[in-house]
Amino acid sequence: MIDYNAMSDADFRRQVRQFFETEYPEELRNLSHRPKFAEIEHWHRKLHAKGWVAPAWPAEYGGMGLNAAKLLIFYEEQQRWGVVRGRDMGVQMVGPLIIKFGTDAQKAYWLPRILSCEDIWCQGYSEPGAGSDLANLRTNAVIDGDEFVINGQKIWTTMAHDSTHIFMLVRTDPKAPKKQQGISFILVPMDQPGVEVRTITTLAGETEFCEVFFNDARTPCENLVGELNKGWTMAKSLLSFERVFIGAPNLAQNALGQLETYARGAGRFDDPVFRDRFAEVALDVEDHAALYARFADQLKRGEPLGADVSMLKIWVTETFQKITELMIEAAGPDGGTLGPLQVGNAGVDVLAAFYKARPTTIYGGSNEIQRNILSKAVLGLPG
Amino acid sequence: MSNAAHHDQDDLRLLRESVRTLLERAGGVARARKIRDEDGGWDAPVMTELAKAGVFGAAVPEEAGGLGMGLAAAGIIAEEVGRVIAPEPVVASVGLAIGLLRRLCPAHALLTEALAGTTVLATAWQERDAKGLSDTLSSRFENGALTGTKSWVAGVAVASGILVLVEAGGGPALALVEPGGKGVSIDKRRQSDGSILAELHLSGAPAELLAEGPAVAKALEAAISDTTALTAAELVGVSAKALEITLDYIKTREQFDKPIGSFQVIQHRAADMHVMREVAEAGVRDALGLMDATETPRLRARQASRAKARACTTARKITREAIQLHGAVGYTDEFDIGLYLNRALVLSAWLGDDVYHRRLWLNARNAEEAAE
Repeated sequence: MIDYNAMSDADFRRQVRQFFETEYPEELRNLSHRPKFAEIEHWHRKLHAKGWVAPAWPAEYGGMGLNAAKLLIFYEEQQRWGVVRGRDMGVQMVGPLIIKFGTDAQKAYWLPRILSCEDIWCQGYSEPGAGSDLANLRTNAVIDGDEFVINGQKIWTTMAHDSTHIFMLVRTDPKAPKKQQGISFILVPMDQPGVEVRTITTLAGETEFCEVFFNDARTPCENLVGELNKGWTMAKSLLSFERVFIGAPNLAQNALGQLETYARGAGRFDDPVFRDRFAEVALDVEDHAALYARFADQLKRGEPLGADVSMLKIWVTETFQKITELMIEAAGPDGGTLGPLQVGNAGVDVLAAFYKARPTTIYGGSNEIQRNILSKAVLGLPG
Repeated sequence: MSNAAHHDQDDLRLLRESVRTLLERAGGVARARKIRDEDGGWDAPVMTELAKAGVFGAAVPEEAGGLGMGLAAAGIIAEEVGRVIAPEPVVASVGLAIGLLRRLCPAHALLTEALAGTTVLATAWQERDAKGLSDTLSSRFENGALTGTKSWVAGVAVASGILVLVEAGGGPALALVEPGGKGVSIDKRRQSDGSILAELHLSGAPAELLAEGPAVAKALEAAISDTTALTAAELVGVSAKALEITLDYIKTREQFDKPIGSFQVIQHRAADMHVMREVAEAGVRDALGLMDATETPRLRARQASRAKARACTTARKITREAIQLHGAVGYTDEFDIGLYLNRALVLSAWLGDDVYHRRLWLNARNAEEAAE
């Protein structure tokens, strides 16, 4: 077993970079859509054989066991080469939860299947009445013998139509005094009569989001992770790395690169107004990266992140949107045209970037929620 | 982070604490108001105290009699100066006067005096033409005397000497004149913060030639980059304190039987100001650190422009929002928040605003990419 953390940062980066550059399939670089598993299975096999499916998991469970510093390098290289995140809900979300709160039997059964993608997971958190106010969720699970019986509806379930299992937050005690109490975390197979999946077509014309309906769906009681009615705190405890990652500079940096390619090809840099606005967003990206580095250093030193990490997400997602608006503006009369716009030797899909930027201010805690968090937890404003 | 970097962080923290304590003890922002009402100037004793705390020598290399802590340290000092709107010309002294002297005539007694805070020197390098800042130099040094007009000269009213950029024998030169001397006339223009920027008219003013030739142009470029970046740090301090004052106000001001800071629209605006402040602080500090890490003039100028662009945008937004969130009292001179708005106006215009620096930054960036 390799101790990656013992390597120097530079050596580790070199090794990761080399693996991606030599092994990653060219046709999968910088995918603009979320792929189904079949489309990326050949890449997943290579990653699995290398033992690199789960960079953050401890080595004893088949992960790479990377510390925060090495993990950031791994993700940076992944983004640099345009490597797909894959179908990683199992690796990113349910795996860490099972590792932290699961029984030995659950670990032995589920973890290897996550790594091999024998099971492909989707996340059942949001509901029609529980978005920003997630604790308001109503989908319920009632114990019947040695099974949970589930009724209700989940929504915005990414890639549910290409998943074998769903991990969910469900209400198991409707009488609990606070709505955050009485929520449990359960694992549910999707291939059963009581589960129905419908895809949602987005503004971009894609179908990566789904609705999932539960009508007396069943799952064995042994698929409860952690204690009954303690799901809320467990799910929240996993979000710390997610919170800095969602504020990472890469989406805005990539869009800035696309904007520059397009604008150069289309001669927009001759226009002083465009130049100023380009400089403005480019500096928005550069100065955000300096702030991001401060939080990344904090993680690397093993310090916990405070509520102030919310500002990374606010700034980077709104900058991302500013950049894509500028792309549309630069495209002029082509600004409403779907698909790649040809400039010089390059093709830039202006509207794909624009659509990609839209949900970023909504998901992962909308930017309004992030501002609420900042005002109360960081600025100490009343009420 | 390495141990050395941790050590540096500790040094910077101590420096910040000592400068903050000194400036608060001297009277904090109340002193800015008092000096403004007394028609500009500064406190000579505070100047010497600041010098004792190492403020003027922090960014000067050790071999030139300084502390060798780099622009990162000078930036910390500038932030503190900004927080209390200290009227002493700290950034102009550190960046321009001391920056020029240590590069061009490190053995001159003036440098020692400037580092000790006993002599305050103004620097007159800019000239005006019909469209504003002139690209060419028309002031001359001939037969031991200066002739010409310099514009936007800060601190000239109380300085004991003025460093003047002139042309001498076909190249740039740096000369020293006395403000009260023969052939020197000063046209004072009062700024929004009460400070003075002057037009300096020179007609055969006797002067001491300090340096000449290409080294002068090189030293000036470096000094302007430093001063631009340090002014950005000062604006970060102005913005930070303006935001703190505003947060205190919206937590206590009540309307409709509640603190106005409990209304979501106010909270979100405060949150946006906070995010802007944090991005500015991170960006400006990053730029100063990168400037410490390179000697290449083009790279240093690019980072200085990045810093000033960010700091001006941030200070503009925060000081204007601060007035709005104070409501009607924000428009009175009685409340300190207005002092921050007025200071931000002056520091933003000084050495170029955000639009100007975004232009320079993009030109530098594109030139670098073309060179690669």
